Amino acid sequence: MAGEVDSGKSTLIGRLLYDTGSLHKTAMDEVSQASRLSGNILEFAYLLDGLEEERRGQLTIDTTQAFCRCAKSGFWFIDVPGHAELLKNMLCGSSYSQAAILVTDATKPLEDGTIRHINVLKFLGIEQIIVVLNKLDILGFSKDAFESAKSEISAFFDSIGIKTEYFIPVSARQGDNLASKSAKTFWYKGPCLISALSSLEGNKAGKKGGFYFPVQDVYVRKGKPVFMGTILSGQIRKNDPVYISPAGKRDKIRAIKVFGKNKLSAMAPESIGLELAGGEGVRRGQIISSDAGLSSGIEIAAKILCVRPINLQDKLFFSCVTQQGICSIKQVNKFSSISSGAIPDNKVCLDKEDVAEVLIVMQEPVSVKKFNQLEALGRFVLKKDREIVAAGIIN
Amino acid sequence: MEGSAYLDELESKSINIIREAYWQYKEKLAVLWSMGKDSTALVHLVRKAFLGEVPVSFIHIDTTFKFSQIYAFRDKYAKEWGINLIIVKNSAALARGISPDKDRFNCCDSLKTVALKTAIDKFGFKVLLLAIRRDEHLIRAKERYFSQRDKEFKWDYNDQPLEMWAQYYKTEHEEGGHLRVHPMLHWREIDIWKYIKREKLPVIDLYFAKNNKRYRSIGCQCCCSPVESSADSIDKIIRELEVSRVAERSGRAQDKEKEYMMQKLRSLGYM
Repeated sequence: MAGEVDSGKSTLIGRLLYDTGSLHKTAMDEVSQASRLSGNILEFAYLLDGLEEERRGQLTIDTTQAFCRCAKSGFWFIDVPGHAELLKNMLCGSSYSQAAILVTDATKPLEDGTIRHINVLKFLGIEQIIVVLNKLDILGFSKDAFESAKSEISAFFDSIGIKTEYFIPVSARQGDNLASKSAKTFWYKGPCLISALSSLEGNKAGKKGGFYFPVQDVYVRKGKPVFMGTILSGQIRKNDPVYISPAGKRDKIRAIKVFGKNKLSAMAPESIGLELAGGEGVRRGQIISSDAGLSSGIEIAAKILCVRPINLQDKLFFSCVTQQGICSIKQVNKFSSISSGAIPDNKVCLDKEDVAEVLIVMQEPVSVKKFNQLEALGRFVLKKDREIVAAGIIN
Repeated sequence: MEGSAYLDELESKSINIIREAYWQYKEKLAVLWSMGKDSTALVHLVRKAFLGEVPVSFIHIDTTFKFSQIYAFRDKYAKEWGINLIIVKNSAALARGISPDKDRFNCCDSLKTVALKTAIDKFGFKVLLLAIRRDEHLIRAKERYFSQRDKEFKWDYNDQPLEMWAQYYKTEHEEGGHLRVHPMLHWREIDIWKYIKREKLPVIDLYFAKNNKRYRSIGCQCCCSPVESSADSIDKIIRELEVSRVAERSGRAQDKEKEYMMQKLRSLGYM
């Protein structure tokens, strides 16, 4: 759930939980009581904002998830904070998601926070976006007000190359057009939110495509090394030939091990152990794959989003699946920002909220792919002083 | 979403997290096992993660107020599964007569949290694996997969580290503190039961209805209340959960007693 501060993200999820019967009676009782004590009418946001500080401050501080029974079998809704200072919590929650509901306040549809969140979604490559124009009750459920807000957002989307199929007029507090169509927006011919959600596609099939297996650890069982990890995509069978990258070796699968047995085959996203015919030098950080063309190198061209400042002389720690190593930023080709302010021309360092196209140089070679070829091998993080300072997408 | 492939995904993610924690910390890692359905599922996931040869320890925090069935279950399966089990108790507090009748908050804090602190100091554990889930409680829903605790066991929920794509975590712990790892955050109550059924895991019979009551959550006998139910088998529990509107922990007195009690307890190091 992306969107500006006070656009109604938490209230919307809370109301949806209520309307779909996903709520526990105890949760409802607790929220009624907490609402009464704070002098509010029934505050649906309290169903997500469970921290004392969140309820007292009437804001979401950290990301949370709530399961809602609706449409096919249900969805996990991920709530995130809208405040700019809480970018890392917003990014954390957004990165878990496969689709986004952008909640905007129809009375002020394109605030800084909305723009910031849209830019984060674009950076993360989240393409399935449903736009919800909330608080339409305040605007008397006016069609003109809705159309005006919609065109403002559409124009911004066009300017940055994002598409969406859905603009839905809602009142989160009153429940209009969430779980069912509302008579108050008789002029609106599109679906309610739940129906729009039903059209979303789930996880893209990881079972097809090449076999990629980053080695996470090596266990010794019956005197032999077993390479442990989680299959990112594709399938593997006993006796299949494989390639080890970035080492650049060939090998063969001798056994596929899980608890209590050996299997003849395995597929994404299973976590398994592999015994190889050779296996010399194979350790954490190597990728076992069916891809003879999986290249390795020390230079990576990518775009990064900074959550903390980075000086260009900094030594950073790169992580892409289990591949880890020291790197530095050799070149910055282009700056932008997720917020709407102008970027000064003479920037020498990367600040929080900056998005930059960079060339990263590793001390040791790694094997990566473009994000649109295999997401898990096409994204990474950079750490400094043990904290993640930037997220990266390889383009 | 509900089939076996879905459970495979949940399982695989959990195993990946367990292995990641072990890679970093090796035998400085311990698994909390309360004999409840969730931590028993976690024990099973740990056994799977290590292909049956488990190199880490398990901790049972014994308040001495637990249901007697918990002790019998523990002793039977610890032996059957070859579990390296450490049983911890806050004997000093018990000798002072601490009990839930007087003050539930302090009782939980002393007999669980303080007992755990003592065990960590004694054995030098840096990482604890816990079976908590997001859908158990709003406060647990705020958790990260890898979550710091300082040396006072405090949880700084206002400034949690960034975890990206549920894949990249802050796996380093602060000096003197420890790391809590939650491999099952993404599991729901119904997923646990379906997994128990599929994997044929044992569960304590308190979970099954007798005289139209059963426990959805078990811990200390005095602080757990059963709920109305006729579900006396795993299949019936699964069916009941599919339509339930009552919260799993609704029978747990310590979650309710004071406003934000769960938050306060967790900020001091509770599970």
